[in-house]
Amino acid sequence: MAIDLPHLALDTLARAEPDRERLQRPLLVVASGASPRVHAANRAARRAGARPGMALGDALAVLDTPELVEHDPDALRAQLEMLASVLLRFSDHVHPEPEAQRILVEVGRSRRLFGGLEALRAQVRDTLTELGFHPRIGLASSPAAARLLARLRNPAIAEDPEALRLILSPVPLEALPLAAATREGLRAVGLRQLGDLLRLSRPELARRHGPELLDLLDRLLARRAETLPRFAPPPVLDLSLRLEHEIHATATLAFPLKRLLRQAEAQLRGMNRSLQGMTLELAHRETRTRLTLERGQPGIRADEWLPLWQTRLDRETLPEAVIGLRLRAPRLLDPPARGDSLLAADPARRPPADQLPAVLARLRARLGEQAVARLINRRTPRPEDAQRPRHDLATTPAPTAPTPGQQACGTALWLQGPEPAAPPDQPQWLGRLEDGWWDHGQDARRDYACARDRQGRRLWLYRCLRSGQWYRQGYWG
Amino acid sequence: MGALDTLLDHPALWRGRSAIPAPNAPVWPSGHAELDRALGGGWPRGQLIELLGAPFGCGETRLLVPMLAACGRDGYWIAVIAPPATPWLPGWQTLGIPPERVLLIRTEHDRDTLWAGEQCLRDPAFGVLLAWLRRPVETALLRRLRLAASESRACAILYRPPDAATQPSPAHQRLRWQSAASGLELHCLKGAGHWARSGHPLRVPEPPEA
Repeated sequence: MAIDLPHLALDTLARAEPDRERLQRPLLVVASGASPRVHAANRAARRAGARPGMALGDALAVLDTPELVEHDPDALRAQLEMLASVLLRFSDHVHPEPEAQRILVEVGRSRRLFGGLEALRAQVRDTLTELGFHPRIGLASSPAAARLLARLRNPAIAEDPEALRLILSPVPLEALPLAAATREGLRAVGLRQLGDLLRLSRPELARRHGPELLDLLDRLLARRAETLPRFAPPPVLDLSLRLEHEIHATATLAFPLKRLLRQAEAQLRGMNRSLQGMTLELAHRETRTRLTLERGQPGIRADEWLPLWQTRLDRETLPEAVIGLRLRAPRLLDPPARGDSLLAADPARRPPADQLPAVLARLRARLGEQAVARLINRRTPRPEDAQRPRHDLATTPAPTAPTPGQQACGTALWLQGPEPAAPPDQPQWLGRLEDGWWDHGQDARRDYACARDRQGRRLWLYRCLRSGQWYRQGYWG
Repeated sequence: MGALDTLLDHPALWRGRSAIPAPNAPVWPSGHAELDRALGGGWPRGQLIELLGAPFGCGETRLLVPMLAACGRDGYWIAVIAPPATPWLPGWQTLGIPPERVLLIRTEHDRDTLWAGEQCLRDPAFGVLLAWLRRPVETALLRRLRLAASESRACAILYRPPDAATQPSPAHQRLRWQSAASGLELHCLKGAGHWARSGHPLRVPEPPEA
């Protein structure tokens, strides 16, 4: 299968553009250099007469103040490789050809899995269209023929060599990737179509027009195998999007972000990986803002990540206008085993012991990392520093039993920093805490007690044995 | 007559006079026989309950310890949202509440407290929700919380200052607590059972000290 992306440059721009209106105006992608040329022109520009390959000066003469965007071959190459990773979900053998803006996919072995070539082609087209690209797809048993059919937008599918021959016969010779001299020579003898060429004797053709022509014919008809290198996807997720227009409000970021997340989902699906956290970099003119998001459970669905990012972004105020987005995930995980979702829908089932509630990601996205915590027992006796909040919720701490010193302080419920308090009327003694006697001057010898104050509060108190002063440690309940 | 009986047995029908909660409605035990009876079996799951009273620390948290312990034993999470003090978890643990199941959420505004509560209730992992409100809040936000609670299997407890009693609330039950000589005195301001109609306060003694 050959997938031509003739509008790759324009599609890439359209993906980053939240404003549909702007796309209706003439736009030119210009390849800069000594003599700037038009690399691509959108529909409005083409209707006005601009053509790819035209000199920029000529195009400017026919167009009324078009938008000009610089052609960036590296960005297009990266875009094509991203799409190649997406297509890995259809086959393990994918070969991008950046010069021709084309991706070749070996689908011979995947056709049964996806329900036939027609269905497979429809799925590939849907996948790419959803990402905002306009593919032209050609299907044939040889890469060369597939390339040709994709360029000619020929939807025919040839199942055997004879059918392929029939489909290719009416193809005009101008469409073949031939040297100009050969093409001219063939035209001079009156050959117009590929069928005419196939009827001629092979030795004769080779003698007159060189072995390259025969080679091409053999590759077209799949008589000679063409080996293409396999595309290996990068092991990390790193997607960037350059915005052509500055974005000032976080709410507007949702549109380009959605595109990025969709793309990440498609790419991860192709790589068969999953992820639990990702980093979003907002590029400004001078600086960058980096935001991270972690979820309780791994997942790749854009529909799940987008609301999380939106709540996260609601908390941010942009210091400057955003000119680019970059989504990164350094750590990719193996996908979760399938099938457990069948039982998870049962509300009566107990929650799994080791799994974190899914809501944590939402809470942290809106309230901040610091707001959500578990308290960890540090196993030190003094209550005021015996607990430490832990914001990294991914690891479940080993359960720690209260130390004897902590038990001596009693089973109060609420803790506060110790504050001096008046001596209570009828203290109920709880236990004695002795700590730090080895540390000169830092020792704490306390008798804990619980008492009721005049307002009816149950106070958690201690008397310092050194000074005799009473302190309030918290509330009993 | 038979048709009327079937109609009256319909679970969606609420009858004012004898409306005790269905006998098999899920509850968390309150640890106190009289309170269990008054609440219709225990602290109801899937309801929003307001506890009104002041000041903090009179034993209104200790009242819920049997429920929290049962919730932790069953492997559910306990959300503690915007408490006025830090939980002393070694104490909780001694009372049978697993500390690794306690999630502490700090918020700056009551609005965030209610939002976080609603989010937690929508997650099936939570069994009990404790949230503290400092000031009066919009009824619409409380209604959202009530809706989330009734769709969940968690018992949502909302602590509010006593002057909130003058403000109507969409909560399923409203209890006002007062510090009494030994323990707490509970008045039912709103509820479905006979306790609310009788208007009698219920005295819950302090649990015997462990």
